[in-house]
Formats: sequence, structure tokens, C-alpha cells
Amino acid sequence: MKNFLKQHGLWVLFAAAVLSVAMAVMSVLSANSSPLENLTGMIVSPFRAGYTAVANWFNDLQNYYKDTTDLQAENAALRQQIAKMEETIRQAKADVEENAKLRELLNLTKQRRDLTDFEACMVTEHAVTNWTSSLTLNKGTSLGVEAGDCVIDECGNLVGVVSQAGTNWSTVLTLVDTDTSLGAQIFRTKDLGIARGDFSLMGEKRLRLEYLPADRAPLAGDVVVTSGLGGYYPSGLVIGSVEQVQVDDSGAASYAILAPAADLDALTEVFVIKSFEIVT
Amino acid sequence: MIARNETIFKWSLYAAATALCLLVQTGFLQRLEFWGALPFLYPLLAAIPATYEGPLAGSIFSLCVGLVSDLLLPGPVPCLYTLIFPLAGLCAGLLSQSWLPAGFLCSFVSAAAAFLLHGSFRCLILWMQGAAAWEAGALVMVREFCAAAPFVIPLTLLYRSVFRKTRFDD
Repeated sequence: MKNFLKQHGLWVLFAAAVLSVAMAVMSVLSANSSPLENLTGMIVSPFRAGYTAVANWFNDLQNYYKDTTDLQAENAALRQQIAKMEETIRQAKADVEENAKLRELLNLTKQRRDLTDFEACMVTEHAVTNWTSSLTLNKGTSLGVEAGDCVIDECGNLVGVVSQAGTNWSTVLTLVDTDTSLGAQIFRTKDLGIARGDFSLMGEKRLRLEYLPADRAPLAGDVVVTSGLGGYYPSGLVIGSVEQVQVDDSGAASYAILAPAADLDALTEVFVIKSFEIVT
Repeated sequence: MIARNETIFKWSLYAAATALCLLVQTGFLQRLEFWGALPFLYPLLAAIPATYEGPLAGSIFSLCVGLVSDLLLPGPVPCLYTLIFPLAGLCAGLLSQSWLPAGFLCSFVSAAAAFLLHGSFRCLILWMQGAAAWEAGALVMVREFCAAAPFVIPLTLLYRSVFRKTRFDD
């Protein structure tokens, strides 16, 4: 190399100078680029495109990975958000149902000013033996529920009477239980009778209306309400409707079979009437 | 003579087995219905242990089961099960002592007797209340027994295992 520069260095320097001058002259003369630059550019251009493409591919790959990771995180966040929204919707549906029940109860309270104090209770257990028809509620004496209180559904239909009350629970004997007996009145005729559970009818969720006046038999479909006589229970609570009228074994008196207005099997929430005013 | 701590251990195991059955009854069986009747295990809990433990111990255990049942279940009289279950336990104990050795057949017959006693007593109370329903009562009694009868087998196995585990040589 040293020898080469010693022998030809001057010539190389001269050629470089000529080339530089030529390039300078060509660049001055040409409008776009010099032919040499153009030639170099033409040769390098595919390589430039190639490595740019490779670089872009790597960039895309990196972006794709980053985007996928971001999307996965976003997807997980959205799933959580959807789950929360679904939960909110479920809660809203339950609230709407509860609201509807409370509105009906509010209307009942407006219509029935004698019913002064209610306690909303959840039914925690239905019948526990085959010989009784009972409900267990989730509220008791700590909230003022007492034995003997009437229990109604959201429409004001009588469900039964509280038979036992503990601190945070109470047991309700439904209308069809054999131990339930209530003063009743046929709404149309105002005739009085006793509505009581009958073991033979308990399985069919029916009860009897007895001690009716011999000469005035009720008609099928007649609505029967509580009479309120004696002041033990509020008057005018719907017990049910007359399904059949039958004559007892002696043939002297008739009795009616009642279908309770409340759907005793489907109850999930009921209202205990804690206090009421006696209407005269 | 069985030592006092062994006696305590034995009856604690019986109580635990009974508590397990009560848990199954209240948590699961109460929501089922076969032939229009709930599977009602309480009479079985009073009768089957008595077949293994004899009339005296069996009656006392059944009395305790009756007491717990009266506390848990609504009834027309406050001591319904406390009255019936010792009788059921006595019958089961006498049966296993005199006629049938304790086992599946003895448990089955004892259970039938317990349901008969329970149903008859219920019907008697209804009759005393002036609302006699002998036919409907008999029907419920039969249905109730049919619904509970399949559970005689697991309960017999359970109480037999307790009995064998706690059988100490005198």
C-alpha cells in the first residue's frame, strides 16, 4: 500500500481532483442530480428499499406484538366492565321488581289507611313437614314481628298468620294449614263465616269457608275477605274466592271451598302487618 | 363397664351423625318432593339408632331427637315429637332386641313403625281438634314413608358405622 501510494499517489490525487472538479461541474450543469450521483442512487436504491422493507417488517412485527398485548389488556378490561354492567343490570331488574312490589304496597297503604305498619320479609323456607303448610321468614321480634300478625303478599292478599316469632325469624302458618282459622266475610253478600284450613284440602292448597247462613249459599267466584270481627285481624284482606259450594254430611249446612288469592307456592317476599287500626 | 369418656365419645358421634342428617334434611331434602310428599327423615333418626343401642339408650336418644325436632319444626302441639319419638325408639329397641337383629330389615320395620306412630298421632290430634281426616292422614303417612324409605339404607349404614366404631368391650 505504501509503495503504491509512493509510486502512484500523485496520480491518484490528480484523478481525485479531476473527478471532484468534473462532479462539481456536472452538478452545476445538471438540474436534478449528477449522472454519477444518479448512477449511485440507482444502484443503491433497491438495497435501500430492501432494508427499509425489512426494517418496516420488524417495526410491524413489534407494533403487532405491542398492539396484541394492548388489545388483550383492553379486552380483559372490557370483559370486566361488561361483567360489572351485567351485574348492574341484574341488580336493576331486581330493583325494578322490588320497586313494583313496593309501589303496589304503597297503593295498598293509600287505599287501606287502617294498615299502619308493614315489615317486608323474605321467605327463607317453605313447608318443612308434610302435615303443616308453613313459611319461615327472615325477620322476627327484633323488628317488631309478633305471633298473631297477619302476613300479606304485595297485592294485599292474605297469606297467613305468624304463629311463632324469634329474634330474627318467624314462622307463618298459611291459610290452608289446619291450625289457621279466621273470621271471613263474603264480599258480595256481606255474609259472615269462618275460613279454616282442612287437612283433606291442604294438599290441593284449598281451605273451607264454614258456618254460612243456611239460606244464602255463596256463588262460585265470590270473593271472600277477612271480617275483622273481634279485632284480632284487619278487615277486608282478600282470602280468596269461592270455588265450590258443598253441603256437609248432616245435610243441614253448606260450606264453600276457597282458592286462596295468594300464590302460596311462589312466594318469595311477603309483608307482615305489624299494626292496624280497627275500622268500625 | 364402659368408661365415661368412651360413653361421651359414643354419643357425640351419634349426635354428629344425626346433625349431619339434619343438615341434609334442611338444606337439600326439604326442597324435594316424591309422590307429593317431602322426604321426612326425622322419624328415621329416632328409630334407627335405637335398633343398635337397645330400648333404654335408644329411647333416651330418641327423646333428644324429638326435643330437637320440636324446636325446629312447627306442630299442632309444642311437644309432639318429644312424645312420639321416644315411643318410636322404644319400639325399635325392643324389636331389635327380641325379634329382628339390627340391620336393614330391622331399620325398615322400625322406620315403618315410627311413621305409623307419627301419622296416627297427627290424625288423632286432628280428630281432637274436630277436623278428623283419617283417610287423608293415612294417605299422607303412606306417601311420607314411601318418600323416606330409600333413605333407610344410607342411614342404617351411617349409624351402623358409628355403632361399630364405638363398640367397646365391656
